[in-house]
Amino acid sequence: MITTVEPIEGAPAAEPSLDERVEQLKQTISASRLSLYLACRLKFFFRYVLKLQKPKSAALHVGSAVHSVLKAWNKARWRNQPLTLKDLHDQFTKAWADGEEPVKWEDGEEAGEQTTAWKLIETYIRQANPTAKPEFVEVPVEAELKGLPKIIGVLDLVQGGKVIDYKTSGQTPNAEKVAHTNEVQLSIYSMLYRHNTGREEKGLELHHLVKLKTPKVVITELPPMTEQKQSRLFTLMESYVEGLDRRDFVPSPGLQCSSCEFFNECKAWH
Amino acid sequence: MAVILQMTYQKKLGLPNYSSHSCSVSLTVEIPDASVAAQESSKLYSLLQTAVDNEIQSVGFMPDASTYGMKPSQNGNGVHPTNGNGSNGHSSNGNDHQRNQDQWNMTEGQKGLILRVVSENKIDKNEVEDMAQQLFGRGVKDCDKMQASQLIEELLEKTGKSKGRQRWSRQPARS
Repeated sequence: MITTVEPIEGAPAAEPSLDERVEQLKQTISASRLSLYLACRLKFFFRYVLKLQKPKSAALHVGSAVHSVLKAWNKARWRNQPLTLKDLHDQFTKAWADGEEPVKWEDGEEAGEQTTAWKLIETYIRQANPTAKPEFVEVPVEAELKGLPKIIGVLDLVQGGKVIDYKTSGQTPNAEKVAHTNEVQLSIYSMLYRHNTGREEKGLELHHLVKLKTPKVVITELPPMTEQKQSRLFTLMESYVEGLDRRDFVPSPGLQCSSCEFFNECKAWH
Repeated sequence: MAVILQMTYQKKLGLPNYSSHSCSVSLTVEIPDASVAAQESSKLYSLLQTAVDNEIQSVGFMPDASTYGMKPSQNGNGVHPTNGNGSNGHSSNGNDHQRNQDQWNMTEGQKGLILRVVSENKIDKNEVEDMAQQLFGRGVKDCDKMQASQLIEELLEKTGKSKGRQRWSRQPARS
């Protein structure tokens, strides 16, 4: 289906043209792009084709700061120059203040969120107690596939032959559900790992840092990507390319819309 | 009732300069009942032995005993810089030593970027070689694509050119 979208006030100048952007988006694909296209094609259009800018949510800012500190922690372990908790707190304070994008804070919200974010980090560092040294930390990689877009991505951590991804979450994850809801991302990471090392990963892990009153860490261990999942990924990638070819950018109205930053733009679509 | 038959064949052979290498192949098959176990075992043994014998003829990386581990950097961790990038999971063949002297294991783009960063920032190549040895237990040319990516990140960080990234931002730089 071909979608028509009215030009939206405030959208950046079309340079390059929207068609050129769509063609560029067909050349490379990341986990976040593919997942978003599959979740809501109109949201994908607003974010990646029109490139509408929105303030960062508090949850995203917490996630960015936590991720930044865990990256520093893992990099230091990888270099055999471990950091103390104080070093990490200094890093956290800097990361919190350094956010490049403006954040949409409610009144009095920031201090509480900052405390929560540090508690998450502290809990993870105390509980993780890794025995293995990281093999790769925050490594950007890509994989050329015949007849499909090039896959690009950044792996948070590879340790013990396992590909590990960090998540912050407001609720305790269910292992079966997160395995499914993160399947696209994990399959892409598997492809990237295999393509760039020539080896199959020993497994995949999701490390959820859960923002409860008493923060906790939930590690979901998953087996290596199966052939069936690889085949599903390729089918989804084909669907992505075909959808972009058709300029298929229809919305997917549902429960998820209540927290979508493009709620108003979506309502104006016809 | 089905019976599972599992067999592993392993062979270890000595190599020059106090080296050795080994190869192991395992198979698990389902047979209809125990009465055919002996016959199937014999077939499996032959199959596995042929597979191992074929593979173990490729000796992979062979160090030059007069220089390996001595200069310019000490590779004291005992890690052999094997290829590790073969699509079938097998390591290298007997041409690797020659190949490693004049070829890079990474992509042309990665090689070009490393050389450019080194040149533009006047970094001592031995320093980069040491960095690769310390981080991955192998020289720069032997780094696989993933190691090359990580090495490039390290070099960019060292030269203050790493932009970092907002991994959880809505519009990540690399997406």
